[in-house]
Parts: sequence; C-alpha cells; structure tokens
Amino acid sequence: MTLLRSSPGLTVLTGFKATWSAFWAMAWKELIVLARYPVQFVTSFAQIFIIMAIFSLAATMFSRGGDSGSNTPGVIVYGFILFIFLSDTLWTIGVNIRHEQTQGTLEQLYLSPASKFANLVSRVTNLLLWTGLLSVVATLTMSAILGELPFENPLLGLYILAISLCGTFGIGFAFAALTLRIKETAQTVANLLQFAFLIFCANFFPFAALPDWMLVLVRWLPPAYSVDAFRSTLMGYPQGYPELAPINVELIIITLFGLIMPFIGYWLYRRSEDHARRVGSLAEY
Amino acid sequence: MSTQTFPVRSLFSATLASTRMRLLNISRYPGQLITDIIVPIVFAALPILLGRATAGENAAAVFEANTGTPNFVGYMLLGTSAFSIVSYAFWHIAYWLRWEMETGTLETLYLTPTGRVWIAAGVALYSLIRSIFSALAGYFIGSFVLGVNPFQGELLLALVFILVGAIPLYGVTLLFGAVVLKVKEANALVQLMQWGVSFLMGVFFPIAIFPPMLRAVALLFPPTWMTNGVRAAVLGVGYFFGEWYLDLAVLWGFLLVAPLFGYWVFTRVENGARRNEGLGQY
Repeated sequence: MTLLRSSPGLTVLTGFKATWSAFWAMAWKELIVLARYPVQFVTSFAQIFIIMAIFSLAATMFSRGGDSGSNTPGVIVYGFILFIFLSDTLWTIGVNIRHEQTQGTLEQLYLSPASKFANLVSRVTNLLLWTGLLSVVATLTMSAILGELPFENPLLGLYILAISLCGTFGIGFAFAALTLRIKETAQTVANLLQFAFLIFCANFFPFAALPDWMLVLVRWLPPAYSVDAFRSTLMGYPQGYPELAPINVELIIITLFGLIMPFIGYWLYRRSEDHARRVGSLAEY
Repeated sequence: MSTQTFPVRSLFSATLASTRMRLLNISRYPGQLITDIIVPIVFAALPILLGRATAGENAAAVFEANTGTPNFVGYMLLGTSAFSIVSYAFWHIAYWLRWEMETGTLETLYLTPTGRVWIAAGVALYSLIRSIFSALAGYFIGSFVLGVNPFQGELLLALVFILVGAIPLYGVTLLFGAVVLKVKEANALVQLMQWGVSFLMGVFFPIAIFPPMLRAVALLFPPTWMTNGVRAAVLGVGYFFGEWYLDLAVLWGFLLVAPLFGYWVFTRVENGARRNEGLGQY
C-alpha cells in the first residue's frame, strides 16, 4: 500500500494499488455484512419468485385460455432485470450513504485517509453479485412458469446489459449526491424515482401501451432505450421491436449513456461531498 | 408495577398518545404521504398497461370473461388500494418493533408501566388512519387519472368490508411482529410478506384461478375476504358465499379469532425474548 505524506500532519492513501486495496477492503466489508443476514438471502429469492408469479397471472387475465401472449414473458422478465438493477442501485448506493450518515460513520469515513472513490464504488460490487444472482433466478423462474423464454443474441444482450449498468451506476452516484443534500427525504425520492422509472421505462409492458404525450418524455430517457434494446435483442427483434428507435440508434444512445453518466454522477457526488464538508453537514441528519 | 392497576381510560390515553405522536411525525413529511397515494396508482397501472398492450381493444371483454367484470381499471385499483392497507399494516407494526430495537428503546418500553398491547394498538390505529387515507385517495385519484367512475357500486358496503377486515388484519400483524422479535430482522421479511400477501389476496386476479390447496390457504387469510368483498361491493364480481352478509360474517369470525391468537403468540415470543435477554439485542 502506497503511503504519501501530502502535507505536514496529513497522511493520505494514493495510487492505484492503495485505491484497489481500499476498494477491496470496503467491498469485502459489505459482503460480510450481507452474509450476516441469511434471512435476507432466502427472502430475496422467494420475493422474486412471487413477483414473477403475480405479474404472470395478471397477464393471463387479459388472454383467452391462459396464454399470456408470445412476447409478454420476454417483455416482463427482461424489463424486470433492468428494473431490479436500477432499484437496487438507488437503494444500495444512494440510500446507504444516508444510512452511514444516520449511523454516524459517514464523517468517520471522510476523516480516514482511504479513497472516497473506492468507498462509493465498493457498494457496486455487492450489488453486481447479489442482483446478478437474483436476475438469473428471475429468468429461470419465469421460464418455469410460462415456458421457455426467447434468448437470442446473447453476446449483444450482454453488452447492452453491461453498458446500461455503467449508466445506471452513474445514476446511483448522482442520487448519492442528491442524498447528501436532501437527507431524510432521500428515501421518499428513491421511491418516487423507482415508480417514475417503472412507468417511463416500461419495464413490465411494451412502450406501445403508453400514451403519446408520455412517449415524448420517454424518448429523452436513456434508461428507456436500455430497456427497449435489451429485451428486443434477447427476444430476437420480433415484429414491432425495438419500439423507440432502430437498434443501431439505440445502441449509440446506450453506449454514450454508459460511458458518460458515471463521470457525471461522480462529478456531482464530489460537488455534493465538498459542499457537505464545507457546511459541516456530513454528520447531520 | 403491574399494568392491571391502571384504569382502562389511562391505558387508552397511552394508545391515543402513541397514535398522535406518529401522526404528528408523518405530517412533517408530506412527500411520504404523496408517495403513499402514488404507490397504489402506479402498482395498478403496470398490469393495466400490460393488459392494454397485449389484448388491445378486446382487453375489457377478455378481462370480463376471466374475472366477471369488464372494468379492469377499477378491479386493479381496488386490488392495489386494499393491498396498500394490508401492506402498510405489516410495515408499520414490524418497523415499530424493529425501530425500537435498533434505537435501544424497546427494552425501555418494557420497563414502563404501560402494556405493550396498548402501545401496539396506538401504532395500529395510526397505521389504519394513514393507510385508509392513502388507499381512498389512491383509488379516487387513480380512477380520475385512468378514466373510470369511482362512484359506482356500493361504496359504503366496501368501506364496511375494509373496516371489519382491518381488525383481524392487525391481529395477523401481531403474529408477524412475533417473528420480527424472534429473528431480529424486519426489512427482508416485510418485503417478502408484502409480495406474499398480494399474491394470496389476489391483488390482480381472482383466487379462483389458484389450485385447490393454494385457494384454501388464501381463504384462511382475512385480507382475501376483505379484497373480494370490496370488489364485489363496487364492481359486482360476486361474493365467495353468494351474499355480502355471509362473507362479512366470515370476516367477523376472523375478527374474533385473529387478534386473540396474534396476541397469544406475540406474548409467548415476547416472554421468551425477555427471559433470554433478547430484547436489547439486534
């Protein structure tokens, strides 16, 4: 670990090795905390199963003979995968910062010489592992309930998922910045954002179901293109999909979103962090 | 000091004080109240939009063939409004216990001369006021937004089903509170419970589509009767026993049994936790 004395009396950890070491230690701590609550493991899996069953049964109410339609399972499952990543990002990155604040450990973290960037990104590791596992379970569950899911173009689908997640984590960083400013209201805002994304990103239904005025707003949201491109690609581009733009255009939008949003999010987070340190609100809640 | 030495009036005043404190607290967070109203609307919008997209112009006719009413918007909105009442009941009771545990005040609460059941009743009353307000607001605003008439059917009878069903519901939440005391975890359990509950009570579908065993389990759960009663009163989808008073009689049966059973289980778990010094731990 590289130790560098930057100014008299102040020791900071710098360099890639030090940042990596801090990142790994923090990610490991998050995993240990997660492992201490086995109830959470079991309930998360069961919850996914029930959510899938509820929406599958709801879909059958609009079909004759219990068939929910050829594209419906793909639309629901692949949309749901991106939704749980987005939802978990808001809570794991954004609201956990708030949790550190209420516990009184956020200020202590800032007094330590460890990398603040590693602190923020370490929360993503946990999310990737855990939510990734839940996504696999969701897919298998849905296949078991409604029959085989369409699974075309897996490599392109994986690329869209990975680049979309980069953008989603950027949203998470930006939300963490907002959390430092709005404090207790963060949970309410996280809830409202989740609901807004559920509707505007059409995670559980095709975009065609939205009214025209709403589609105008939807076209300004990169995560909506992620949902559309991801499920259209994995469903093998059935007729009418992708719905928002040709796939090439959607890929460009998603790639730019994935490359730029993390930097914007982190920049916003640093600004909020500086503000909180200046006004002394890191320990306030 | 035993709680039995206190007159009922003073214990009831502890209940009201507990309710008032929580209502005062939530009034400071108007954003939370708005979210409470939005939740049932957004939750209902998901299957509505899915249905409109998959069934198109035939959505109402297909839905009627499957459920008994063409008004799928009202059906979903009533389901999610009832669900929000049930879900908040679990959230509020579980989080009350968990929060007291985490902040270290649960043990302190046990040292006061007021019985826990009176404080729990205060939490339940607060929860009921808050959830009924958001469910009604969600239903009426959602109906206007989604373009259906909210004033159809027998609304008063629907309200009776909700009020009668709420009492056994809070009895069941005491069972759940006992689980929270035992396993010292609330978040994951409530998350699971709210989805399990919405599945069993048929939030988006009639429980008639369940296999017999699952249907029997669902019928043992008071919110299933409450939800169907509300839908039957407003949309005319039909009562389980054909007549409203028979279904309501079943809810009255639950009303007598569920709170007593919940209290009995909660007290046993609570005594176990006190004997094993588990109240201050989390």
